[in-house]
Amino acid sequence: MSTVTAGTRLATIATRVRERARTTPDVIALREKDLGLWQQVSWSAYWDTATLVGHALLALGIEPGDRVAIHSENRREWLYTDVGTVAVRAATVGLYPTNPVAEVAYLLRHSGSRVLVAEDQEQVDKALAVADELPDLEHIVYLEPRGIRNRYDDPRLLAWPDFLALGQQHRAAHPAAVDERMDQARPDDVATLVYTSGTTGPPKGVMLTVANVDFAIRELVERGGFTGAPPSPKDSVLSYLPLCHVAERVFSCWFGAGAGVCVHFAESIETVAGNLHEVQPTILFGVPRIWEKIAAGVQIRIASAGPLKRSAGGFWLRRADWIGDVLAANGGRHTVASRLVHAVGYLVCYRALLDRVGLRKVRYAASGAAPIAPEVLRFFMGLGLPMHEVYGMTENSAVATANRPGRVKVGTVGEPHDRAEIRIDELTGEILTRHDGTFAGYWHDPEATARVIDPDGWLHTGDVGEWVDGTHLRITDRMKDLIITAGGKNIAPSEIENALKASPYVKEAVVIGDGRKYLTALIGIEPDTVGHWAQQRRLPYSTYRDLSSKQEVIALVQGVVDEVNERFATVEQVKTFRLLPKLLEHEDGELTATQKVKRSAVASAYEELVESMYRVGAR
Amino acid sequence: MSGRLATSYGQDMALLNTPAKRWWTLVLVVAAVALPFVLEDDLLVVLATAFVAAIGAIGLNIVTGYAGQVSLGHAFFLAIGAYTAAALSGDPDSTRLIGFGITSLPVWLLAAGLVAGLAGLIVAPLAARLRGLYLAVVTLGLVFIGEHVFKHWRDLTGGVGVGRPAAVPELFGLEFAVDGAMFTKAQKLYLLMFVLLVIFGVLARNLVRSRIGRALAAVRDRDLAAEVIGVDVTRYKMIAFAVSSFYAGVAGALLYVMIGFVEPGSFNLALSVQYIAMILVGGVATISGSVLGALFITLLPRLTRELPAVLPFVSSSSTAGGITVFQVEAILYGLLIIGFLIFEPRGLFGIWIRIRTYWKAWPFSH
Repeated sequence: MSTVTAGTRLATIATRVRERARTTPDVIALREKDLGLWQQVSWSAYWDTATLVGHALLALGIEPGDRVAIHSENRREWLYTDVGTVAVRAATVGLYPTNPVAEVAYLLRHSGSRVLVAEDQEQVDKALAVADELPDLEHIVYLEPRGIRNRYDDPRLLAWPDFLALGQQHRAAHPAAVDERMDQARPDDVATLVYTSGTTGPPKGVMLTVANVDFAIRELVERGGFTGAPPSPKDSVLSYLPLCHVAERVFSCWFGAGAGVCVHFAESIETVAGNLHEVQPTILFGVPRIWEKIAAGVQIRIASAGPLKRSAGGFWLRRADWIGDVLAANGGRHTVASRLVHAVGYLVCYRALLDRVGLRKVRYAASGAAPIAPEVLRFFMGLGLPMHEVYGMTENSAVATANRPGRVKVGTVGEPHDRAEIRIDELTGEILTRHDGTFAGYWHDPEATARVIDPDGWLHTGDVGEWVDGTHLRITDRMKDLIITAGGKNIAPSEIENALKASPYVKEAVVIGDGRKYLTALIGIEPDTVGHWAQQRRLPYSTYRDLSSKQEVIALVQGVVDEVNERFATVEQVKTFRLLPKLLEHEDGELTATQKVKRSAVASAYEELVESMYRVGAR
Repeated sequence: MSGRLATSYGQDMALLNTPAKRWWTLVLVVAAVALPFVLEDDLLVVLATAFVAAIGAIGLNIVTGYAGQVSLGHAFFLAIGAYTAAALSGDPDSTRLIGFGITSLPVWLLAAGLVAGLAGLIVAPLAARLRGLYLAVVTLGLVFIGEHVFKHWRDLTGGVGVGRPAAVPELFGLEFAVDGAMFTKAQKLYLLMFVLLVIFGVLARNLVRSRIGRALAAVRDRDLAAEVIGVDVTRYKMIAFAVSSFYAGVAGALLYVMIGFVEPGSFNLALSVQYIAMILVGGVATISGSVLGALFITLLPRLTRELPAVLPFVSSSSTAGGITVFQVEAILYGLLIIGFLIFEPRGLFGIWIRIRTYWKAWPFSH
């Protein structure tokens, strides 16, 4: 373990995987479903393929500091490429599979990637469409040959097996080349460029160095910054969120390399429910959207079950609500009464329910990357899921605060990590963080870097927050999202939006009101649940647009809005709303790659709808 | 790796693929083995008969349920098995009947199965050319030919109304058909039949989850389509008939061990229909369903015999007025077949699956 323990040599994700391959070669590191079977990859096979990738990159002339882009869904090759790239001291650039051509062009050009690993014909086509504007792009390695082999003759194309064969040859000729390159690694090597999908302006490339990643792994993984008891090879995770996002990178790649957690790749984002059921992970991270969806699914499925199941399930869900309230009031710890009720409920309902949704073995669940409604957290806590809201961002390597097991305060993002300094700017209320995980800067954008890192090393997160009881941090909103009404009142829209989104019928909510007399909202309905609701009422509909324009549906959403309004002060109440005529899409520029709403884009795309809410007498 | 996460197809296809199944199978086996020490002997004999019938029903289910070839000729194959076994283990010194004096159970059981299987193979080419009703009529013909032959081949069968002793079950010097010091005859027979049922049931389950089983299902669902995807339809129809007849032969050999006597008139169309009823009531194309159906149909007479005590218009003998228990039985068979076909085509096993799914999905509906 000499390479992993501090000081002597630098630990990168590559050295960590190499160390696992040496100490536990036959333990399963990765599982991926192929033709209905979970293919298993041991640590030795993992490291072997990653080294081959490293050799292949050396054969292609990749030098320290070069960039290697990956444009793929989560799969084994993603991690092989990531680890292999870091091994040869190059930087990995992740592209979202949903990135449209224009963004692919921007990211590849801006990062100056020399090699692109593209998943399939779809992604290869995106790159080839703009390849002539990309002087730096020398090679495109494709993983799925279907539709490409024997049809495309671009000289830059290289099939994955040929790419690995190149690595084989290079390894035969220079057996120690990758190890030598790894030994030269320096703490300020850029390990990865993570493009943050800014809700305004083009994405910015966050440079995370080897030292940043190492700090994050030590803090979050080895010291158990999230999980309390540090993760171990007995734990398993499901990798389903885009790996180019820092959160999934933490839970898939870094938890794996740092603690030996077994990573299972979901087949796709649509099959997450089924894959969860099969894998039954012990550690699960989700963005609020995922948790909201699971919660809505549970409620809808119980409501649509037979009479016995409906009444029994409903009864135990109400008990779960109560347990959730108790737990939330006690920092996540049970009282005698709540433990008793939960034990009975577990026997007759919760165990089966959690098993069905694939959460039965989860010992640590976390939500992050966006604010989540407290009701959703309480819902899962009541079912017996140890649920924690965490906070971090790409720029600080995802190290900021976390609710710790047993010290949960619902509505806050938790306590600062042990070696992270957090303070709140007295003037602006902005949250500032400082530690070794603070990023090295934005790629090719020193101006932007200077704007967020001040001379003392404090990172300006752009989030506004406050301390709760002096220990826990509560986030009010993104600074630039704060709404100042015509009456001069400061309002944090995300709280209202999350309260709306906690309803199973609401998928998206955008509160509008900056410089206006009152607040309004654009609301997107959840097609599954509202569709189901309509079916139950024998309400015929054809498309999403048709469903959204039904008077009954508008009345349904009005009910949700009225209910939410009761919880807010008069100025914070949504006076009127309009339903969005379509689902918001990343490809239409309405969502970021992480499915966050781009307010400005939505507000301008639906300007007519917005204006109609502010006309005289509008209601 | 345990649980739902399949890392090999073998794991995916395993017979007992969940812990719950493993546990409940164990419980069921233990309960079945404990039964002879709890129940009355006469009931044990009925149960033992039901186990044998289950072997026969599994056979019919392979050809009719899995391969989709309707066969009314099951009685014929049962008869072949019964007489092969009876003749082999018969008294060699008898002047009236053919007998070879081989009383070892494995020998005559296997021989009965093989001879019946051979007969099945001879019939199979017919099935290769015929389908549906036509095949049913041809196999119906078998029953009548068989009935005629068995009634008149007195050296083998003893003739109508006389019959001959059934096969003598003996294994390594252990006699099953007589009361022993530790176990009664009924207890011994019950356990013997149970063990045989488990053996043949597991064999059949393994057959139907294999390549052969999938080929049979393909033939059933659409023989033309099966042929197009590379299933040799003639070959698999022959396999289905051979295996089915083998099972029928084995069941036939054992069926009369309990009463100790075979009468040639009993292998008639009604017997075939009884087996059809077993698989329809139990569950088409399921092994467990065959067992359930056989138990149900065999235990049914036990219940109807209680009827005269409850319902005054049902009499227990044909001399008295009104309707007899035997007529009630026949009516019940008919009603059950019609009822199951209409309301629960998947049979008793289908009901079980439905109950299981209900609780498996708890607290959701699916």
